[in-house]
Amino acid sequence: MSTEPAIQTENLTKHYGDTKALIDLNLTVARGEVFGFLGPNGAGKTTMIRTLLDEIRPTSGRASVLGLDSHTQSVEIRNHIGYVPGDLAMYPNLTGRDTLTYFANLRGGVDWGFVDQLADRLDADLTKKVGDLSSGNRQKIGLIQAFMNKPEVLIMDEPSSGLDPLVQREFQTMMREVVADGRSVFLSSHTLSEVQRAADRVGIIRLGKLIAVEEVASLRSKAIRTVNLFFDESVDAAVFEPLPGVREVSVQNHHVTLSFDGQMETLLKVVAERYGLLDITTHEADLEEIFLTYYEEVES
Amino acid sequence: MLSTVITKTFLDRWKGEAIGAVTLVLLFLMGMAVYRDIDLAVYTDLPEVFRSLMNIPADADVGALAYGAIYTSYGALTLSALALSMGSASIAGEEKNGTMGLLLGNPKSRTHILVSKGANVILLTGLGALLMWVGGIAVPALLDVNITGIHVGALMLHMFIIAVFHGFLALAIGAWTGKGSLASGATVAVMVLSFFAVGILPLIEGVESGVKAFPWYYFSGSQPHVNGVAWGHLAVLTAGIVLFAIAAVVGVNRRDLRGQASGAGLVDRLRAHPMTEKVVNRLAGSTRVSRIWIKTASEHQGLLIIVSYVMFLIMGVALGPMYNFIDDTLATLADAFPEGLLALFGGGDLSTPEGWYQVETYGLMAPIAFMIVTVTIGSRALAGEEAKRTMGLLLANPIKRSTVVLEKTVAMVVYALVVGVSLFAGVALGSMFGGLGMSGLNIAATTLLGTLLGLVFGALSLAISAATGRVRMAIFGAIGVALVAFVANGFLPLSEGLEGLTKWTPVHYYLSSDPLINGMNWLHGGVLLALFVALVAAAVALFDRRDIRQAG
Repeated sequence: MSTEPAIQTENLTKHYGDTKALIDLNLTVARGEVFGFLGPNGAGKTTMIRTLLDEIRPTSGRASVLGLDSHTQSVEIRNHIGYVPGDLAMYPNLTGRDTLTYFANLRGGVDWGFVDQLADRLDADLTKKVGDLSSGNRQKIGLIQAFMNKPEVLIMDEPSSGLDPLVQREFQTMMREVVADGRSVFLSSHTLSEVQRAADRVGIIRLGKLIAVEEVASLRSKAIRTVNLFFDESVDAAVFEPLPGVREVSVQNHHVTLSFDGQMETLLKVVAERYGLLDITTHEADLEEIFLTYYEEVES
Repeated sequence: MLSTVITKTFLDRWKGEAIGAVTLVLLFLMGMAVYRDIDLAVYTDLPEVFRSLMNIPADADVGALAYGAIYTSYGALTLSALALSMGSASIAGEEKNGTMGLLLGNPKSRTHILVSKGANVILLTGLGALLMWVGGIAVPALLDVNITGIHVGALMLHMFIIAVFHGFLALAIGAWTGKGSLASGATVAVMVLSFFAVGILPLIEGVESGVKAFPWYYFSGSQPHVNGVAWGHLAVLTAGIVLFAIAAVVGVNRRDLRGQASGAGLVDRLRAHPMTEKVVNRLAGSTRVSRIWIKTASEHQGLLIIVSYVMFLIMGVALGPMYNFIDDTLATLADAFPEGLLALFGGGDLSTPEGWYQVETYGLMAPIAFMIVTVTIGSRALAGEEAKRTMGLLLANPIKRSTVVLEKTVAMVVYALVVGVSLFAGVALGSMFGGLGMSGLNIAATTLLGTLLGLVFGALSLAISAATGRVRMAIFGAIGVALVAFVANGFLPLSEGLEGLTKWTPVHYYLSSDPLINGMNWLHGGVLLALFVALVAAAVALFDRRDIRQAG
């Protein structure tokens, strides 16, 4: 089992009547990585996760966690995972501690010292009834129950919703610790910045299809840059448009903004020959822009 | 906005109301068809006191009997139950769902929302009454039964008003407290108590006029299907409705709205108190969450306590001594009754203590009590966790789905046993206090059969819940089947040739062997047990093969 990937799907397909929620999804999540699963609402992220948990069964294809079949060996799988469902709901009449005790009893082998440590780190109140907590504080209880048994694979669906920035940062650290331990995290999100910070690789899903799997680093490296150029005179957009790697040009008097994924050297050479260059700023696009680019390409 | 809220609630609820009404029309059809084929002399020869108890006029004919037996009891109870479930869900339900804040985010007052909810209770109850009215006229025409002299319209008006009365009582309690289960529980208690008070009090000398204290009297006391509209009685009920409406408006405006959060109950206060903290923490905390079945059983304690209490004290202990006060004329009639007729009322013979308990307690109330607890757990066990979106989290633990079903079944069995033990103790004590000399073993046997019957219907709701993941379907499915089974079991024996068919209803295996007199019938007990086991097995299989629903 130890050499099997954390999560693997083979042509995983799920239909709800005529709706095709997942179409031939092939995905492998390795041990010791944080895998970000990105997609807009309704793309199929939750369907994929619920299949891994055996809440729903594939129409065709299969999924496995740690080499175990998601359907026939689901109980065994659940010994080794922690799970935070999207749109988390718990038992309103139980306190945080009761809730954790309930799941700990069902699971067995939970270290309460570790639970208290997690509660401390996330600043969670375990004495109040879950129904009396704000959604962010409720989410903390959900996170603790997923982390508390030190699972081999953490599967989390939009886990940081409602968390304030400080707690989000702590949560990021907790995920990095899991990975440093050789365990894996499967993180579904539509919050790109979250995945950007936490994930090693990212899969992008849209309309039930996996459209790309990339390393976050390589996504960045091939990414588009935004370049701002400031000149000592008015310039003409037509000069920039034909240059290799230039995607979009906007000109305001002495100031040009470019979307650029070509060689910086070429750009500078041409520009400096024509005009007097006063200043240049450049920054790498975030996943948001890359994400939109991917979708635009798929759609077009 | 008013009309928007009304339309939404109407669309949410009209199906349930229509199904309820149509079911009653079908029962009415069945009842009238049976009455048409039997010799009615058995009714008309009855002594006056009996006829009044059964709502049968002196010159009873097929029509009067059918309306009296089906519409004024089952019909009015069902219509009232639908109205009170709407009333209790109105304000408290929106609060529980967390949608009240959303509604009030619009520029409308709490009173506005309350008024539109109240209008819905009236509208939907009106729809139900209208359907039953149409059925009440169409069925006799279909069966070629003459209903001259029967005031169907008057009966339906009375029924409509009593149902709205219960709906508004629940609405007022819900508006005042924000607690839906309290609103429906208290209103059901009022309804059932008053239904039985109107049946029993007239039998006891000296307290006959006490019935006037109970709302049900103003519905059926004047026998509207025979005597037409009793405007005075309707005025009393209408005054009650207006009072409840005012109370609801005051109630909903005076308090803080509840979030989805739960209020602090007695247990929470005890948990917070340093003196009781340790013990209560263990009971309400770690013990409650130690097993799935214990947690499930902890969720409806209030209901269990109320049902057990009513069965123990009122339907058990109190009825024993009361037997001694019944009009003597009843006791002399033992031999005058044809068996078929008695079967309709649970097969009891009022001249013996066993018959008294059979008619009053075991015939109808005990099965209802058992079903209230078993169907509550059975329907919510699986579908409830799905509707509340907690099933995913529960099943993320290393447990099989079958374990969940079986643990929930254990909770259901425990509930049924608690009600059974309360009932047994109540009846045994009642027999002792009343000096009735009933056999303790036979009481135990009858209670056991009742417990098993309740478990059969509970398991049926569990199976529907397992197959569909829908709470309402599980509740109405089980209650619908039970209703048909009870009525079939009561009516089929009246018609020659159809009697054998009762063996196909589970109800037959409950009282048909007269266990209060003859003791335990192991064969019958075995049949019920086998049915229960089969239904639980079906639930396990059905739940295992389907997708978990994501939301309610």
